[in-house]
Amino acid sequence: MEAPPVTVMPVTGGTINMMEYLLQGSVLDQSLDSLLHRLRGLCDNIEPETFADHELVYLLKGQQGNPFILRARRSLAHPTAPWHLRYLGQPEVGDKSRHALVRNCVDVAASHSLPDFLNEMGFRMDHEFVAKGHIFRKGALKVVVSKLSRVLVPGNTDNTEPLSLSYLVELSVLAPAGQDTVSEDMRSFAEQLKPLVHLEKIDPKRLM
Amino acid sequence: MNENSMSGVPAVRVSIESSCERQVQEVSLDGVETYVPPLSMSQNLAKLAQRIDFGQGSDSDEEDPNGQSRVSDWSKQDLEGEEGLVKFQPCSWPWDSVRNHLRSALTEMCVLHDMLSVIKEKKYMALDPVSQDPIVVKTPQVFQLISKKKSLATAGQLLLRGAEKLSKSVAESQEQWRQRDFNAELLHLRSQWKLRKVGDKILGDLSYRSAGSLFTHHGTFEVIKNTDIDLDKKIPDDYCPLNVQIPSDLEGSAYIKVSIQKQSADIGDLGTVNLFRKPPKAKPGSQVWHLKLEAAQNVLLCKEIFAQLSREAVQIKSHIPHIVVKNQIISQPFPGLQLSISLCHSTTDKKNQRASPDKTKPDDHLYVLEHNLHQLIREFHKQTLSSSVMPHPASAPFVPKRLRMAGPMAYDKSEISSLQHSEGLLEKIVKQAKHIFLRSRTARTIDSLASRIEDPQIQAHWSNINDVYESSVKVLITSQGYEQICKSIQLQLNIGVEQIRVVHRDGRVITLSHQEQELQDFLLSQMSQHQVHAVQQLAKVMGWHVLSFSNHVGLGAIESIGNASAITVASPNGAYAISVQRGNIDSKQ
Repeated sequence: MEAPPVTVMPVTGGTINMMEYLLQGSVLDQSLDSLLHRLRGLCDNIEPETFADHELVYLLKGQQGNPFILRARRSLAHPTAPWHLRYLGQPEVGDKSRHALVRNCVDVAASHSLPDFLNEMGFRMDHEFVAKGHIFRKGALKVVVSKLSRVLVPGNTDNTEPLSLSYLVELSVLAPAGQDTVSEDMRSFAEQLKPLVHLEKIDPKRLM
Repeated sequence: MNENSMSGVPAVRVSIESSCERQVQEVSLDGVETYVPPLSMSQNLAKLAQRIDFGQGSDSDEEDPNGQSRVSDWSKQDLEGEEGLVKFQPCSWPWDSVRNHLRSALTEMCVLHDMLSVIKEKKYMALDPVSQDPIVVKTPQVFQLISKKKSLATAGQLLLRGAEKLSKSVAESQEQWRQRDFNAELLHLRSQWKLRKVGDKILGDLSYRSAGSLFTHHGTFEVIKNTDIDLDKKIPDDYCPLNVQIPSDLEGSAYIKVSIQKQSADIGDLGTVNLFRKPPKAKPGSQVWHLKLEAAQNVLLCKEIFAQLSREAVQIKSHIPHIVVKNQIISQPFPGLQLSISLCHSTTDKKNQRASPDKTKPDDHLYVLEHNLHQLIREFHKQTLSSSVMPHPASAPFVPKRLRMAGPMAYDKSEISSLQHSEGLLEKIVKQAKHIFLRSRTARTIDSLASRIEDPQIQAHWSNINDVYESSVKVLITSQGYEQICKSIQLQLNIGVEQIRVVHRDGRVITLSHQEQELQDFLLSQMSQHQVHAVQQLAKVMGWHVLSFSNHVGLGAIESIGNASAITVASPNGAYAISVQRGNIDSKQ
């Protein structure tokens, strides 16, 4: 059986081309409480919420070029909630003055048969992890503070092991392409979190 | 003075003795004498001054001129006195004037004393008892008065100086207090309003954004320190060290006016509603700035309500389009009836006066709806706040959960649109207005029937428990005095938004439209039916025979509601018969 042709063309989400603006940082476990405290003060006055998610990263390898990556995520705390399928494009290069990492983003809510469907399509699961933590919002800004854990036995989310002694902090905004003012907002918000956490524009390619 | 020079002779002797010989303080066992160290000049002076006995000294002076009394006594004292005075003379220059004054005073006192003593013996002199009193009494009184006056003046001066100091310190502390007061007021303000510092300004937030409002007005006010006050002048009672500056478009007072009128022929004069309330009276204990901010926030909320309503009025497609003119929205809930919602905003007192002629118009406010509008906008705010639920899984975007379910659950278009659609403020308020209108007209119809028709009687029992869109009334039709014989007719009227549902006691349900005539006709037919039944019941009781009874006779004029009914009864002996036919218009006998 031949693998289906893989396009390396960027995927766009329907009529509106949404971009994700992202800043990342990390905080040690000891400082988590003070960061959460600061975030509660800064963010919208909504009861702080925790989450527990299981993410599966699927690859579709073609003959040549980069593999096509899709991320499927489900909530462990809300088993009935729909799955979330996400495509993330390559970070946009250029504009050094921009304060945040910008990448193409397609979000799809999916039913619970998503893993089977992806398998049928020829995707193969590359890796999986469990993310547990806290989620905040301030207007359109989303702040996710999460602990990433390795899944020791594939598919068993109860048996996990923390990846590190720190929490991942992500500040993200979804906006139509070209709205660079949001990156300004993000920068000023990130400024207010200093020196608890330094949120930066991190290029995942450099780390690989 | 001669005395002085005479007494100088023995003084030389005494002074030599004192300077040459030291006093022996102690003789020890081996015969050594310890001398008292000689006094220094000043010590000596002090010692001598202590020994001065002015009274005795002067007495001796007085002795010579008078020279008669108590010679033996004086001679003794003389020696001591002279000794004291002489010792003191050589080094007495700084004390001289004091001594002289004292001396002259003593001389006079002694003269007085001697004169008194002479008078006392009554040999050589006598005092007239009448003239004696004023002399003896007067002098001390004058003295007392003068001394009193002097001491009072000194005391007064001291008090004045103290008062001056006090007033100065009070003024100082008041200045400090004012400074502190600003900070205290700021703290007070901070506890009630959102404040933030931008540069060297203090800005506050009036908007309802944190409560979920989406209104675009920035709604910021500035906190100013009130410094334009003259320290020397009296501070006015309502002085407040803190002032607030609100945006000019939020000044004054505003309210939303809702009213229902019979449709006016011309809409040309619409959009100029100018009814203003008097400014609210200041509650005791609340600050000026607080009232100002509350008023501004109220203006902001009214503006938001009106903006929301006019946006909906333009967007919503209804059979009869809503009209937005200036500060007024006009809607037609029922034909020939118009609901007008207007934003009244008064900025200055001048306008207020100009609008005063309008106040003579009848007050047709629908306060309930105005209140409900405020409630609705707050509900709307709450909805926007609560709609922001955190997504699960956390990576998902911020969209309502139900909308995210749409894909996986394969919703169709109608289901999705039903999810998104929610009734707007305007639709809700129009519905409420319709209900209110229908309710009040129903009440009026029943009341007018009850007052117009005496027999049978109509009673209406309004239920206290009702909804903004529904209320109910129980209508009883009875014949007075015959309640025992004939059953009354009971009707339950459920008044909705567009129509009235009538529930009979036997469970029949009739739906009436909003037309007034329908309800009136229906009630009339029920009343006439009740009358026929009453005749039937009465005939039975009286022993008359019912010959025929029909609820629906096919005779007579065609009635608009139901058919005419008729009854024929015969007297017990069969001699008389009465036929009653009833229609909706009138009953024939």
